[in-house]
Amino acid sequence: MATAQSAAAGDGAFLSLRGLRKVYTDFVAVENLHLDVPKGELIALLGPSGCGKTTTLRMIAGLASATAGHVMVGGRDITSAPPYDRDMGVVFQSYALFPHMTVAKNIAFGLQMRKVPRAEIDRRVAEAISLVRLNGMEERRPRELSGGQQQRVALARALVIRPSILLFDEPLSNLDAKLRDEMRTEIRDIQQRLGITAVFVTHDQSEALAMCDKVAVLNAGRLEQFGSPIELYEHPANPFVASFVGRVNRLPGTAAGTTVKVGAHDVILPKPMTGAVEVMVRPHRIALGGPSDTAPGANRVTGTISQVAYAGDLVQYGIDVGGTRWFVEQQTTAARPPEVPGTPVSLSWRVEDTLAFPAQG
Amino acid sequence: MAQADDMHTASGRFGLVAMLLAPIILVNSFVFLLPILNLFRISFNEALPGGGIGPGGTLENWYKLAEDSYYLEIMLRSVGMSLLVTLLALLCSYPIALYVHRAKGAWRTFLFVLVVSPLLTSAVVRTYGWIAMLADQGLINNALGLLGFSPLRLLYNQTGIVIGLTEILMPYMILALLAGFGRLDPRCEEAALTLGATPVQTFWRIIVPLTAPGIALGCLLCFVLCVSSFITPRILGGGRVFLLATEIYDQAIVTLNWPGAATLSILVLVIFGAALVVYTRAVNRLN
Repeated sequence: MATAQSAAAGDGAFLSLRGLRKVYTDFVAVENLHLDVPKGELIALLGPSGCGKTTTLRMIAGLASATAGHVMVGGRDITSAPPYDRDMGVVFQSYALFPHMTVAKNIAFGLQMRKVPRAEIDRRVAEAISLVRLNGMEERRPRELSGGQQQRVALARALVIRPSILLFDEPLSNLDAKLRDEMRTEIRDIQQRLGITAVFVTHDQSEALAMCDKVAVLNAGRLEQFGSPIELYEHPANPFVASFVGRVNRLPGTAAGTTVKVGAHDVILPKPMTGAVEVMVRPHRIALGGPSDTAPGANRVTGTISQVAYAGDLVQYGIDVGGTRWFVEQQTTAARPPEVPGTPVSLSWRVEDTLAFPAQG
Repeated sequence: MAQADDMHTASGRFGLVAMLLAPIILVNSFVFLLPILNLFRISFNEALPGGGIGPGGTLENWYKLAEDSYYLEIMLRSVGMSLLVTLLALLCSYPIALYVHRAKGAWRTFLFVLVVSPLLTSAVVRTYGWIAMLADQGLINNALGLLGFSPLRLLYNQTGIVIGLTEILMPYMILALLAGFGRLDPRCEEAALTLGATPVQTFWRIIVPLTAPGIALGCLLCFVLCVSSFITPRILGGGRVFLLATEIYDQAIVTLNWPGAATLSILVLVIFGAALVVYTRAVNRLN
């Protein structure tokens, strides 16, 4: 989508990937990737494993060479610059702390390499340590720290050199769920406070949507969509993005104008289409009602509950609609118990919450 | 009751450990510890002409060792040459070990076999191979001659021994290095590069410190093997280079001075002890 304007696209962008491509001996890891990251923004590279997101990050960092295309930072082409000339901070998935150095020495390393005067190193290391709240840990070795603390050291080590770009390679995947949420907020907070441009690789869609200004969804080495979390979730460019950023019911149908025939039901689309289509509705956007309830101005189908999964905050229903299984999620409340299997129900949702794509293949 | 049970199992476990260790303790006591104690005892016996061992309780052998500068000379030569061989073996082996460590799959297995394969041939055979290479009319000097250089004296001197021992000990050095490369993490090297370290800085600041345990182990092993090596110095030295190991052989087998040989053997043990102390200190500092 950026190809037509690729010459001009770099204008507002700080980090700019131009037709980036990486071919290994037996497969194409990244194919013709164009991406523009404005200064000060945090963007996510989101995709399933093997989609090329980490390879892309490594090409940005200079740890992998690009087969074709360019990496530009602030208008400068750094495609062939070695990693030590790129001025980028990288937080690795495994943290990659230097096991033979203390926390303070780990953090000071990048400054020593930059020949920063001793006194300034001490001052900036102390600053970085309090930024990530590791005061008192200066003389510890990495192996004496918990996973979360090691993560903070890795972050401080990458931040202390004041890099032009900060790169995260699935930094939270080795932490337990609670710590992950905490670090998520903390990383976002620090990134915004320092106004640093950052790229965050993850396979976790909620992480990408919750943390980042913009998300690039990659699949099989190709960019599927690049947009804000809301754009991605509400206006996915294709079925892959729609199903990757959240759960969906996927239903085949035949469209004529704004009406689609899905099984025995008519579903109204927000915009006209023709021919075979795939209709998608997110489970939590569907409201359940009695079999004869009507919801004016909304799509409505009827079915029978066949399965109930109660998860505390949510209850997930499997509903049989004319031989097709639909999923519906509802928030629970103490005021009403969940429905039981065998109950006839109506499913209704807003026309705007109906996604439709031309059927594939 | 529970306490009694605990004690029972604890003593049971101790019994099992003792039982499992007993064979090796027994064997080592008889074939290793006892002979060494005997050696120590003989070093205080008087040496009689014709290979006899006289009455004990004399410090004569030790006095001789201390007074005769010849012994100090061969000790310094042995230790100095072993340090040199250890250093050369380290310099030659380190890149190989690093490469094997980073190789993957079948290629790595192949390289590993290649590294170990010299050990399948006896050191004697390999040493004779070096004669063919280093002799006045050997491969190296012939090649030098063809290129118009004057021949080098490479055999029956220290140079030959150093070359031969370095090659013969390299497999041990490489194996020890590989054993100690466990902490080396390619991500750490990448992290160093992204933090602005050049490959040379990364080598000295990250790779060398992380492989230090392997370096220490390899050097200890190589040094000890080198000080005690006899065949290679004997053959490549042609009896003209006097070292501790060759001197022990001469005293024990040629002049039949067993107490003298025993005294020198204890001296070698003391050198090993010193090497172990240096190694232990180095490893403790690394941790």
